[in-house]
Amino acid sequence: MTQTVVLSPLTRIEGHLAIHLETEEDSSSGRTIVKKARCEGEMFRGLETILQGRDPLDAQQITQRICGVCPIAHGIASVMAQEMAFGILPTRNGRIAQNLILAAEYLHSHILHFYHLAALDFVDITAILKYNGTDPTLVNLRNWVKNALDKNLAFPGAPFLPRTETDQYLKADEANWRLIESYAKALKIRTLAHEMAAVFGAKLPHSTSLVPTGVTGEVTIERVLSCKSRLEQIKTFIHMVYLPDLFTAASAFPQYWDIGKSQGNFLSYGVFRMEEKTGEAVRNFLPSGAVIGGTYQPLDTSKIREFVEHSRYSSASGLHPWQGAAQPAPLKGYSWIKAPRYDGQVMEVGPAARVMVLCLGPGNPEMKKDVQDALAAAGVSLEKINSVLGRHLARGLEAKWIADQCDRWLDELEIGKPAAADFDLPEQGSGVGLTEAPRGALGHWLTIQNYRIERYQCIVPTTWNCSPRDDRGQPGAVEKALEGTVIQNPAEPIEAGRIVRSFDPCIACAVH
Amino acid sequence: MKTEHPFTRRDFLKLGGFLAASVSIPGRWAELFAAGLEKMTSHTPVIWIQAQSCTGDSVSLLNSTDPEPAELLTRYITLVVHQTLGAAQGQTFMKALEQAASVDGYLLAVEGSVPLGMPKACLIGGRTAEDILVQLIPKAKAVVAIGTCSAFGGIPAAEGNPTGSGSVQDLMNKHQLNWKGKLVNCPSCPTHPKPIVGTLAYLAAKGYPEVDEVLLTPKIFYGTSTHDQCPRYHDYERKIFSKHFGDPHGCLFKLGCLGPLTRTECPHRQWNSGVNWCIRASAPCIGCSSPFFAKKKSFPFYRIGEQQHPVKYTENDRKGV
Repeated sequence: MTQTVVLSPLTRIEGHLAIHLETEEDSSSGRTIVKKARCEGEMFRGLETILQGRDPLDAQQITQRICGVCPIAHGIASVMAQEMAFGILPTRNGRIAQNLILAAEYLHSHILHFYHLAALDFVDITAILKYNGTDPTLVNLRNWVKNALDKNLAFPGAPFLPRTETDQYLKADEANWRLIESYAKALKIRTLAHEMAAVFGAKLPHSTSLVPTGVTGEVTIERVLSCKSRLEQIKTFIHMVYLPDLFTAASAFPQYWDIGKSQGNFLSYGVFRMEEKTGEAVRNFLPSGAVIGGTYQPLDTSKIREFVEHSRYSSASGLHPWQGAAQPAPLKGYSWIKAPRYDGQVMEVGPAARVMVLCLGPGNPEMKKDVQDALAAAGVSLEKINSVLGRHLARGLEAKWIADQCDRWLDELEIGKPAAADFDLPEQGSGVGLTEAPRGALGHWLTIQNYRIERYQCIVPTTWNCSPRDDRGQPGAVEKALEGTVIQNPAEPIEAGRIVRSFDPCIACAVH
Repeated sequence: MKTEHPFTRRDFLKLGGFLAASVSIPGRWAELFAAGLEKMTSHTPVIWIQAQSCTGDSVSLLNSTDPEPAELLTRYITLVVHQTLGAAQGQTFMKALEQAASVDGYLLAVEGSVPLGMPKACLIGGRTAEDILVQLIPKAKAVVAIGTCSAFGGIPAAEGNPTGSGSVQDLMNKHQLNWKGKLVNCPSCPTHPKPIVGTLAYLAAKGYPEVDEVLLTPKIFYGTSTHDQCPRYHDYERKIFSKHFGDPHGCLFKLGCLGPLTRTECPHRQWNSGVNWCIRASAPCIGCSSPFFAKKKSFPFYRIGEQQHPVKYTENDRKGV
């Protein structure tokens, strides 16, 4: 029997997403299995259209507003596209300072994602009522929920309750208490990460200091120390809390190494510039490349096309971003998200993709070893990175690498030297900015005509991951990852939420 | 002495005192704020709806210090539904929303603009954001537009936008809903956590605050000009101007600073726990709390290109003269 299961809105992500599942009851086992999934991006602003005709320097400010969770990645992609179009290069201090701001954004975003967005799918928040220890945070939380329940108040424990009711949450009380405690700690740590980003970023979200050639602020000893002191606390949290919690979750839900498999093709543009260059060939801390059918190949952005057969646009399908367009057609298709493809292939992007590209391509040997060790500890092989738990693991490892690297970048900054340089604006030009947001491959394509933006196109991580079907009918990566999933209770499909969230979707980004 | 609540009156007084200090109002207000915050924790519900938003204001709310986010969510506001932070999803979310909406007197916080010309450009649980807001607004005790998008339309409503995007006030006008004495605008892109927390606290404590007649911004948070309080004001007076991005000295006006058009408390509140803010980072103010923020293509954020291509604004436009 075929049944449609709808998860709308799919919350605890950035933005507006609905998931439609076509399920079938398996005749032998009686289990409900997902046959087909549809990922519907439900919010559109038309920012690329709004950018047309504007001063090119407006772009790094306007594109940051694509996303309040990862504005820096957009700001940097835009600045890189402008640098190429203006024919200029970043200053050394400017490049490093931009890396530090983006790194801090990664740390905020990965920690936010694991604890505040994804964990509530696994942690039994009601276990707090049984807490009998003395940790002040947990005691306060328990009393807060208990008080509301005792007094029969309208929304006890909101916004953590109501939730999906299921018997599939973590069973052990101690593990639940520990994760709830970490949830609260993580709120402070991600605030610290934003403070660290603001040291060179002026303010977060939406930095005003990012400019072509670097950042506006001075590099002072005070600022370096200010970053270091926050970084130290964040690093300790990653090593002592985040990674252990990740392994707690992984050992309690081992079946999720086998659930949520995308097509298995991965794309990374590379991120954190290690030299004062711009464009496709720049050397990055985390490398660029594509993995198709288990084989690494160097990045070639000429292979990118965006399809709109099932998207809410009437503009032509199959365009390269240099020619891209987004004429809205609200009644057409089923999603505001376009369907980008690389060499015709559906690609997964994000931490899992970066880890696969790194491991199968020109990655740092120490990082490769970290991945091997972590997988060995969990008793699984590299291909399991393509799973719900694989994505969470990749995110955690990456947080560790990036936090550790920040110390080196801070030491490399040249105190007192400028972090930006003067430049002229050309009458015409074109440039591409390729980087990685915490959620994956991010590209901005800019052309300038008569000193104004002629065309601005963004292909954003979640555009790849949450894409609808393309013109050939190939489902997007998340749609594919949902296929074959066994749903215990079609009225409360918690499994679907876990799969979709493992990609850390950002719909404001995906559609923009 | 043990109280009924798991937290003490002293906690409230502390927070009340902090808020009073942070908004530069006399200390006697501390008592009043404390009373309001107690009222608030006796569960004045807050319904938070994201329309055409980037979630930046929600993330900024999480950057709140004293009260820190965990404290804030569990004690000082009862955040009934929130698309990013709440546990509820799918039907559970929609039911919680219905339940919250069935009891009058909640505070409605709106993040993001509303696509008035293309309602299907923003759906929540299959309903348009416009439809949901029109249902929620009449029974709300007050409506708080958080962020420049919901307060003034912001970037989604900029010149040439394809969705006919507008502010919460535009939505209320379209549906003939009364906004006088009900709507409070808390702009900035994103809004600083203190005006978010402070305005919600004030609404619960005292009711509708004193607002700017035109902008509907609470005077306690948006009463002063950024330019007038700028630490580089003396450079402006002495006509010492920064020459290019990265030049650490001088007033940033010639680079495009829009401080004269902007009314926020950034100069003394600063950002991210006081770590930094735009001017301290030698970054021109881009006027993110202004109703004109990003609206016109001919009015760029920066003046780098001013000598190189024709511009349609004057220096007086930038000074708001």
